[in-house]
Amino acid sequence: MQRSVMQRRIGDGLGRIGEAALMARDILRVVPHPRLYFTSALQQSYVMGIQSLPLVLFIAALGGAVTSQQTGAQFTGGLPLWVIGSVLAASILTELGPLLTAIMLTGRVGAAIAAELASMKVTEQIDALYAMGRDPISFLVVPRVVGGFLVVPALVILADITGLVAGWAVGVIAVDGLTTADVVYGMRFYFRPWAAFFSVLKGIVFGVVITFTACFVGLQGRGGAEGVGRTTTTAVVATTLVLMIMDVLLAPVLKAF
Amino acid sequence: MIEFRNLHKSFGDQKVLRGVELVVEEGETLALLGPSGTGKSVLIKHAIGLLEPDQGDVVVDGISIVNASAQELRRVRRMLGYVFQNSALFDSLTVAENLLLAQEDEGGRRTTRDCCDDATELLEKVNLDPVVLRKYPSELSGGMRKRVGVARAIASNPRYLLWDEPTTGLDPVNADNIDDLIMELGRNLGVTSIVVTHDLDTAFEVGDRIALLFDGQIRAVDTPDGILENPDPLVRRFVRRTRADAQERPKTLL
Repeated sequence: MQRSVMQRRIGDGLGRIGEAALMARDILRVVPHPRLYFTSALQQSYVMGIQSLPLVLFIAALGGAVTSQQTGAQFTGGLPLWVIGSVLAASILTELGPLLTAIMLTGRVGAAIAAELASMKVTEQIDALYAMGRDPISFLVVPRVVGGFLVVPALVILADITGLVAGWAVGVIAVDGLTTADVVYGMRFYFRPWAAFFSVLKGIVFGVVITFTACFVGLQGRGGAEGVGRTTTTAVVATTLVLMIMDVLLAPVLKAF
Repeated sequence: MIEFRNLHKSFGDQKVLRGVELVVEEGETLALLGPSGTGKSVLIKHAIGLLEPDQGDVVVDGISIVNASAQELRRVRRMLGYVFQNSALFDSLTVAENLLLAQEDEGGRRTTRDCCDDATELLEKVNLDPVVLRKYPSELSGGMRKRVGVARAIASNPRYLLWDEPTTGLDPVNADNIDDLIMELGRNLGVTSIVVTHDLDTAFEVGDRIALLFDGQIRAVDTPDGILENPDPLVRRFVRRTRADAQERPKTLL
């Protein structure tokens, strides 16, 4: 009996989820053996972290600057101005810092990983690894996922600090009547250590999501140059989608504490 | 010994292999000939577990590739060397790193010096200057990449070698060198080889036996002389046509 297009797509989707689960299992089997990937993971951390840092900080600064101005424009005359400090801290720590960092890294790191692995796939370099008895998971995937796990939370911390500082500076300059004392009071009023930890937790989850999804999609690459381009686009779209879903799923965690 | 047992493989609606039966004896070099797109590369990819058959099995050294555990499959792959049609060198690594990656170093006992000496020796075997060790694959010509691919395949001293179009894209001198290397590995080291090729010169020069793959099945397997005298009209037509092509070239096999 002919399967409908919808049935085929659902079947393909479920198949992909199964393959992703198998790759996750293979990664977890390698993780307890750092000798296999430690040096490569450090190299990947450097590539992802140091080289992405200026862009991540710049975007975080813009995010902070926009938040303080928008909040100022909407709250002036209605609520005490120190609330701007609270809103700034809450939005940067719980949402903007981790999410803007993750979205930037999806475009910069995720796309690069997917393109590199897809290119290796279509030029039979992945087959060559298998043929040599080497495991592409421990050789290519685990160093990238561990690199993301280590470096994205660190980038999120730096992005949070930059966003808060930029939000404070721009707010004091652009919002009439807002003082440094207001911003600091508002931030202290809101701040809970859990919020900062939540930010880092999101960084860890997003770091794994970006690298894992990019590796998974990249390894599915097929076709020539066009296929590599298509795979890269798919990786960016899929990673952004998974990031947003994870963001929604993580939201109740903040409330729980 | 490598045995292909009733091997079937399809890609979508396209049936590529339709019950291939072939035995490659220990120490022999088998040249696999056939028209383009007939599944020669697909066939040897099954021997190393890069493709899974729809039906049938490949048995290498008594180990079933279909039923092998991950560990067994890794062991089989360590026994096999694979020369890829397009070299498949790791383009983010230098030639030296490509060669070192292919060498066994369980326990990390070998020094950098040992590794470099080995890499230089490997390059000499394929007639390449050690100066290329520090170059990246993108800095090499197609022929040089091909020879580095060969060096990488023999780096782990495999018992079996699978050559996918080893001389395609090489000039006649280097093609001869590769032919000599295939024969030398077979004669001196007892390496068992399957050589997938379009090049009749190579097939008749290196092959102890020649197999012809037509329409997803092995149509004939015989010694070079036996193939030339095979009564099957399809085999005769293929060999005659290819021989005619070869005669038009300056270097002929006859």
